[in-house]
Amino acid sequence: MAENANIQPLFKKLLPRIAKAIIKGALWFVLLYFVPLFIVSTLSQFAPEIFSSFTQILSVYVVIIVFFVVASELTSGTIFQHVFNIGKALILMAFIVFALEGGIMSIDFENIRILADLRIYLIILLAMDLLGLAKSLLQTINFLSEKAESKLQSPSPREY
Amino acid sequence: MKQTIRAIGLASLILWLIVIIFTATLVYSAFQIGVVFGEMQMSTSEGTATLSLPFSIDNKGFYDISDLNITTILLDGNGASVLNSSTIVPLISSGNEVDTMHNISISLDQVESNSLYYLLFNDTTLNVNESLALKYAHVIWLRVFTNFTIPWGAPLHNLTIGEVSVNAHNTTHVKAILPFGFQNHSFFNLTGTMRVEIVNTLNQQVGAGTTNMDAPSHSSCETQMEVLVPLVYGGFKEARLYFDTSVFSYGPMVMPIG
Repeated sequence: MAENANIQPLFKKLLPRIAKAIIKGALWFVLLYFVPLFIVSTLSQFAPEIFSSFTQILSVYVVIIVFFVVASELTSGTIFQHVFNIGKALILMAFIVFALEGGIMSIDFENIRILADLRIYLIILLAMDLLGLAKSLLQTINFLSEKAESKLQSPSPREY
Repeated sequence: MKQTIRAIGLASLILWLIVIIFTATLVYSAFQIGVVFGEMQMSTSEGTATLSLPFSIDNKGFYDISDLNITTILLDGNGASVLNSSTIVPLISSGNEVDTMHNISISLDQVESNSLYYLLFNDTTLNVNESLALKYAHVIWLRVFTNFTIPWGAPLHNLTIGEVSVNAHNTTHVKAILPFGFQNHSFFNLTGTMRVEIVNTLNQQVGAGTTNMDAPSHSSCETQMEVLVPLVYGGFKEARLYFDTSVFSYGPMVMPIG
């Protein structure tokens, strides 16, 4: 009975978070998977050899984003939320470099080789991800400083 | 701190929107580019055969195409360069159409200097390396490579000199009749002259003559050449042939006779 009494408030506290995480995760999944998948499949009709290979990359990208969105939501209000945000920025940077093959992409079909030098584009994406990383770091510092400030502002009654 | 975080967040959002819009319009624009190839034309002048491929690029996209470079490299079976032709279009602005030609010039004089003269006499297969490079939207470099083989038809394939017959001409000279034959397997018409020098067994030139040649593409040419030689010529050893045509000049080509 006592165990049930402890679990119920915890469950009540976690339930909205879980629901919010599921809804957010589903929304990001639809936005990042189905919409780009529709665009990729439309483009695949024109050049299937080029665009069909992007479906797998897109799936991995969506898995990364949805995982971090859900994890960040479940741990919101804790330091782990910011840890996940920093982790997301770092993993996305590595993923972008991997997905764009270091900026030089090559596609072979039949007897034709296409080389695309996307290094400038890659630098732009990495710079923007760095901005996201900077934001997450500042949020972490802000979170920690606010926590420290709240401890200083509410001293324990024993001190008086 | 919170103001800074908000400002970075807003800046990040705006930049992502710009990049997403740029990427979407880039892909859309790439599909709006129309490329039309015309019929290949051929011309010969001053020792050079030129194949011209007319093409037009209609850039209906939002971004410029710059530094367009089409290169054709022709290599023989041993990897020796037969020709290297490039066409450069510096800029095709958005909304503009450019009509131009990719000229592939084959100078067989150059072939001779590159020790590829066997191409004049032997059919073979040549490797073609075709590449296209361009810069799209001033950001993305694109290079397309392909290679394939094409048959090469020799302009003087199976060049032979038949049996030389000697007829009396006057009291000091005889008339040597040399029957020549070859097949023009090349894509160009062969017009020009052929000069023959007859050398006797003592390595002395005993007679010479020139004849006109006119062998259309993919045709056989058979002709007879009459050369006056001294009555006492000492036996024929070889004929030295010199070709001077609209596409190439080559000589001497030494062929045994007698």
